[in-house]
Amino acid sequence: MPHLSSAINIYQTTGGLLIYLLLVSAAALAVCIPFQAKQPGKRPERAAYFLMTVISALLAAGSILVIWFHWEIYQNVVLSLPENLAREINRWLAAAADRSSYSLPLYDTTDPPRYILPFWLENEKYLFWFLAYAVMALFAWRRLNESIFRILLQVLLVIQTAVLCLVCNPFQHPLPGFLQEIGPWFSPLAPMSRLGVFMQLYPRLTFYYNAHYMWTHPPLLFLAYAGLTVFFAGCVAMLWTGKRACETMAYGHAKVSYIFLTLGMLLGYPWALQAWGPNWWWDPKVASSLMMWIVFSTYLHARLYLSRRWMWGFVGGLGILCFCAMLFTFTASFFFPGEHTGH
Amino acid sequence: MKRYNSDFILILVTVVIMFLISMLCIGGMFYFKWAELQNVVPAIKIAYQEQMNSLLAPFLLALLLTLGLCIPRRLFPHRRLYAFIILLGLTGLGAALAWGWREALLWILIISAVLQAVVLILAASGRRLKFLCEGYWNRLGSSSVHLGLVLFCMDFFLLDRWNVHLVIFWISAACIFIGTVITFYAEDMMDKLKGRKESQKFMDRC
Repeated sequence: MPHLSSAINIYQTTGGLLIYLLLVSAAALAVCIPFQAKQPGKRPERAAYFLMTVISALLAAGSILVIWFHWEIYQNVVLSLPENLAREINRWLAAAADRSSYSLPLYDTTDPPRYILPFWLENEKYLFWFLAYAVMALFAWRRLNESIFRILLQVLLVIQTAVLCLVCNPFQHPLPGFLQEIGPWFSPLAPMSRLGVFMQLYPRLTFYYNAHYMWTHPPLLFLAYAGLTVFFAGCVAMLWTGKRACETMAYGHAKVSYIFLTLGMLLGYPWALQAWGPNWWWDPKVASSLMMWIVFSTYLHARLYLSRRWMWGFVGGLGILCFCAMLFTFTASFFFPGEHTGH
Repeated sequence: MKRYNSDFILILVTVVIMFLISMLCIGGMFYFKWAELQNVVPAIKIAYQEQMNSLLAPFLLALLLTLGLCIPRRLFPHRRLYAFIILLGLTGLGAALAWGWREALLWILIISAVLQAVVLILAASGRRLKFLCEGYWNRLGSSSVHLGLVLFCMDFFLLDRWNVHLVIFWISAACIFIGTVITFYAEDMMDKLKGRKESQKFMDRC
């Protein structure tokens, strides 16, 4: 990939710097926590708020870097074929279109296929997810002056930043899966082999990378996950303090997360039918997502009776269970086989 | 106030059924991994799906019956409600004996969808129906969400009829989404708008 190598270099160097700054800021935020817990006062609170803002800004800068890198890929990775191969491929595609309800579009020689990659591919999804959380946490932090709630938000942000920097750094090896996938395209190939590689890449480009559902289904779920994390902090604070304000804060985030989650899951349904056919139903990821949605719906139903005896603890516990279900659902894609594995 | 009214019990029953469905989902995940179903031929995968669907069916039926209790509660007084439930159960049983459980489930779903549509229209027209939640917008939103869920379940029976299936899916998705937004936010927004108008009137009077 001769055209991309300089972009990859810039991406890795700048990204590495951002990751370093993120680590330092997260460490400083972690240091603030015991001071806040021991002696809640204005100075550590102010420092914590400042550091949370810095982390959010760094995550936003990282996202801008991702957008730039994807623009470079759009400019430089083009699946262009010579005229005679294009005619051949269109003959195949037209024949396939007659037999299938979902078919690939014909190859256009004037506008060859390019990758319009979404910003939540592979490890980049953590950047998007944690940025969404950082922004939501910042607003929640400002809105509710409750020590335990604020500390929890900070602890969760520190954990997420550490995970991003140390476990799933998107800048260290940029899009390894994608670059490995398109690698053969840039090697010298005989015409028929090029045709073969094209037919491997083109369906993935159409139904996965460039699918418009890719711009709705995953980000809505990550926004839901981010909201659920703030909701979790609210539920723990509500059980810890017994204060109505914490419950109201938790419920506010539950509502918005539920909308994102429901819409995200619904929009995944027609996409799965289009990309995988009917064979994905009861896939482990689908089953776990269904389980999470049901637990969440149970919370919302149970909350209608919040004022009843025992229901405060039950509802708070269900909120924590929702968060655990979310963690289980997300990590399930790494341990359970299925269509979603590793995504 | 009664300590345990029927609405509260219905919610508890719904919670228990949902919990059992969650357990079934988790069981399905582990079975999928244990039986290594990822790389098997489509026929075995389809058999697994059918097996999971048949395991889910009684819970879905129970959920539909609680919904079946919930929906007509909005429309009928107690005496008629019981008569209606018995009638629904009997016709469902009749459909199961005549055509099979799948068709019986579809029959109950169609009845539920029609009833929920009536509830939605009545709630939209501002009729005083028996609802757990208070307020016009809450009732409207809740009716829309439940209609969407019934339609979504119904949609699974239409997978082989491609065009109808997608139309029903999008209608159900719209009902669920719009209903959820209305339930969560419309009442507060209207209160705020009303409050602003009230305060404006007060300011004008001053």
